[in-house]
Amino acid sequence: MSEKTSRREFIRRSAVIAAGAFVIPEIIPSPAMGMGGRTAPSDRVVIGAIGTGSQGMANMRDFLRLKDAVQFVAVCDVDSARLNRAKMMADNANKNQDCRTYADFREFLEKETPDAVSIALPDHWHGIIYTEAVNKKLHVYGEKPISRTIKDGQTIVEAVKKNNIIWQTGSWQRSQAHFHRGAELVINGRIGKISKIVVGLPDGGRSIGTPPVKEVPPELNWEMWLGPAPKAPYRGVSHWDWRWILDYSGGQLTDWAGHHIDIGNWGAGLEYTGPVEISGKGVYPPEGIYNAPVEYDFTCRYANGIEMRVANASRLEHGMGTTWYGDLGWIHTDRGNVLTASNPEILKEVIGENEIHLYKSQNHWQNFVDCVRSGNQAIAPIEPAYRAISVALLGEMAMATGETIRWDPDKEEIIDNPRAARLLSRPYRKPWTLPTV
Amino acid sequence: MNKKYIFIILAALLIPLINGCNKKPANKALIITGQNNHDWKLSSPVLGQILEETGLFSVDIMTTPQQGGDMIKFNPDFSRYKLVVLDYVGDPWSEKTNSEFVDYVKNGGGVVVYHASCMAFPDWKEYNEMTGLGGWMNRNEKDGPYVYYVGNQLIFDTTRGPAGSHGDAHEFEVRTRNTGHPVTKGLPVRWMHGTDELYQQLRGPAKNMQVLATAFADTSFKGTGRNEPVLLALEYGKGRIFNTLLGHAGEGGGPAMQCTGFIVTLQRGAEWAATGAVTQIIPADFPTAAAVVLRPGIREITTCEAFEMITDYDIQKSTRYYTQIQAAISDAAGDEKKLSGLEKKMVKVLKNNKATAEAKKLMLRELSWMGSDYCIKPIKELVNVPELKDEAEFALERLGK
Repeated sequence: MSEKTSRREFIRRSAVIAAGAFVIPEIIPSPAMGMGGRTAPSDRVVIGAIGTGSQGMANMRDFLRLKDAVQFVAVCDVDSARLNRAKMMADNANKNQDCRTYADFREFLEKETPDAVSIALPDHWHGIIYTEAVNKKLHVYGEKPISRTIKDGQTIVEAVKKNNIIWQTGSWQRSQAHFHRGAELVINGRIGKISKIVVGLPDGGRSIGTPPVKEVPPELNWEMWLGPAPKAPYRGVSHWDWRWILDYSGGQLTDWAGHHIDIGNWGAGLEYTGPVEISGKGVYPPEGIYNAPVEYDFTCRYANGIEMRVANASRLEHGMGTTWYGDLGWIHTDRGNVLTASNPEILKEVIGENEIHLYKSQNHWQNFVDCVRSGNQAIAPIEPAYRAISVALLGEMAMATGETIRWDPDKEEIIDNPRAARLLSRPYRKPWTLPTV
Repeated sequence: MNKKYIFIILAALLIPLINGCNKKPANKALIITGQNNHDWKLSSPVLGQILEETGLFSVDIMTTPQQGGDMIKFNPDFSRYKLVVLDYVGDPWSEKTNSEFVDYVKNGGGVVVYHASCMAFPDWKEYNEMTGLGGWMNRNEKDGPYVYYVGNQLIFDTTRGPAGSHGDAHEFEVRTRNTGHPVTKGLPVRWMHGTDELYQQLRGPAKNMQVLATAFADTSFKGTGRNEPVLLALEYGKGRIFNTLLGHAGEGGGPAMQCTGFIVTLQRGAEWAATGAVTQIIPADFPTAAAVVLRPGIREITTCEAFEMITDYDIQKSTRYYTQIQAAISDAAGDEKKLSGLEKKMVKVLKNNKATAEAKKLMLRELSWMGSDYCIKPIKELVNVPELKDEAEFALERLGK
C-alpha cells in the first residue's frame, strides 16, 4: 500500500472521528467546522496551489466554490503580488491567516505535504514542476497543455503512472454536458464510421514588435519566471502574454489543443493513440518577439485512416470547435453550448444501456476532489491530455520544418527524420534539468 | 587541373544560367494613365515596377492626352498586350478606342483595374461590367447593388443611395474570402494592410464577379461598419479582370503600395488576368494578422540579402530578416543541397566578427535542429563567448554533441 493511500485512508477515518468533534492536529485550521452537519475540515482535500496568476486563481475560485471540498493551505508564485492575492483568497475561505506562501516551488514541495496541488504555470515550466509534484506523490490538478515538448510530456505521463496518483487535466470541456453528449453520439456511431475530424482553434493576434528592455518589477522574480527557458531580457511581457512566444508556449494552437483536439479524440476513440503522419503550414508573425504562428493548418492521419485537420478558426467552415464527419453526417460542438448536426434528428438519439457511455462529470473541479477521495480515475487523465498536446506539437514541428512528419504512436518516436526528432525536446538552461521519474 | 581552367569551365557553365535569368519576360503589359484625381505620376511607375519584379511582364506606360485634350489621338494597339493596367480616371476615350478595348477583353485580354480607376467611365456600360463595382461620379442604385459581407454571407444590397466613399486612411486587416481562386490560394486568411483608403459603399453590375478579399470598414475611421470588398476577380467574354481597390499612392508608393500584401496580390492578380493561372509562390514576407509588412523598395529581399542584413541585426528594430531565413529553411525541406547551403550561410554569420550577438543567437537556434556536423565546431567555439554560451550549449545539446 502506498504512503499516499494510507494517508487518504487516514483522512477518511479521521472524518468519522471528527463527527465526534475530535480535532486533528497539523493541517487543521483553528475554526474547526466539523460540527453542525457540515463536512469535517479533515475530510476536505488539503490542497496547495503552484502558479497563482489568472488561471491559477480561477482554479482556486472554482475549487472554493465547491461545498466543503478543499482547503488551501499553501500557495506558491514567483510574483509576490499575485502570491499575496492568492493567500488572501485562501485565508478568506479558511477564515484565518494561516495559508503559507512560497516564492520557490522547491521549498513548497519540500515543506508541504498536502493531498493535492493545483498547478497553473507557463508551459515551459510544466515538465519540471509537474514531474516533481507527481514524484512527491501529490494528486495534481494540472493546466493544459501538459507540456511544451513531447519529451516533457512523456516524462510526466511516466511519472503519473509510476506514482499512481490522481491526475486531472484542466480540460474542463469534458465536464460540460454538450461536449460529452457530442462525443458520446460520435463514439456510438450515430454519424457512422468517422473519416475526418476538423478542429478549429483561435486565430493569432496582433504583434507588439520588440518592446524595449525594461526594469523588472520588484514583485517579479524574472530569473525564476524564466527558469529552464533561454535567458532573455525582461521586455514587459511575462504573465498571460507568454503564450505568444515560442520559448514558453506555442500560441493559440498549443493553448487550445487541450480543449478541442482533446474532445475530438474523445469522441473518435483516439485518446490513447496518436497520428502516424502530420503535415501542414503555419503563418508566422513577420517580426517581433511574439513568434508563435498566427495561422496554422495541418492534417494528421491516424493508423485507422481517420484524418484530423487542425486550423485557426477563420480558415474553417464551422469556425471554432470540434466537428466529426462520418459516413452518415457530421456533428459540431463548441463552447457556448453549441451542439449541431448535419441532421438535427441525430441529436435526439438515445444511447442504449449496452452502448458506450463516456465518463460523466458535471463539475470538473468536483470530479477531481471526488476522485482524490475515492481513488478513482478522473475524467481528464494524463495520457489523453498528453496525446492531445502531442497532436499540436507534432503539427508545430511539421510547420517549422516544412516536412511531412511520420510518427510511431506506440513507440512515440519520429520515424526517419533526425532533424524533426531534435524538436521533440527543448534543452533546459542550466542548472535546470528534467527530473527523472 | 589548373585552377584557372576550372574557373573558365565554371564560367562557361554559368553563362546559360545567367542568360536564363535575363530571359525576356513572356508577357507585355500596358499601363494606361495620364489623367487621374489621384497622383498618377507617383503610382504608375510603382505599378510598373511591381509588375516587372515578377519577371513575367515587360511594361509600357502610356499616357493619354491631358484633360480636355484630343482623345482621338489616344488609340493604343491593345492586341500587342497580354495585360492592360488602368491607372486612369478622366475624360472618356474615343468610341473607337472603347470598342477596341472591349474587343480586346472579350477576346481574352487581361485587365488590372487599380484603386481609383474603379470610378472611371461612369457611363461606359461595358467598362462597368468589367470592373464589377465602382463608385463616385454620380453612381447610385441605377448602377447596381451595394456588395459586402455580413458574417460569412455575401450580400447584394439594392437599397437606394450613392456609391463610393472612404473614411480616414488607416492600417486595416484584410480578410481573404476566397482561398480557392488562383490569385488568393495559399494566402493567409487574415493579413494587415499598410495605411490606405478603404473604399466603401461601392456599387456596380457585380456580374461574373468573385469577391476575393474584404476589409472591415471600422466606424471609428468613419467606415460603414461593413466588410467591404477590396479585391475582385471578374470574367468578361474570354477576358479576365482583376480589380484591386487598394493602393492609394504616396511618395515612393507610400505604405499602401509598399505593403507586401498589395504588391503580391497585384502581381498574382496581373498574372491571373494575363494568363489564367498563377505560377508565383507566396513570398515569406507576406503580411499576417500580426502586423503590416512594407517593402520600401517594392522589391522582395532575397534570402542572400536577408543574411547580409541580419549581420547588423538589431532586435529592437526588426526580426523580419530572421523570419525570412526561417521561412527559407522550411521551404527547403527535403532538399539537402539547399539546406546545406543555408547552414553554410548561418555558420558564416557565426564566424562574422561584425555580426551582433543577437544575430548569432538566432542562427544558433535554427542550427540547433537543422544543422549537420558542419556547424558543430563553429558552435563549440562560441561556448567560450559569455553572451553566447547559453545558446551555443542549447544548440549543442539538441544536436546531440
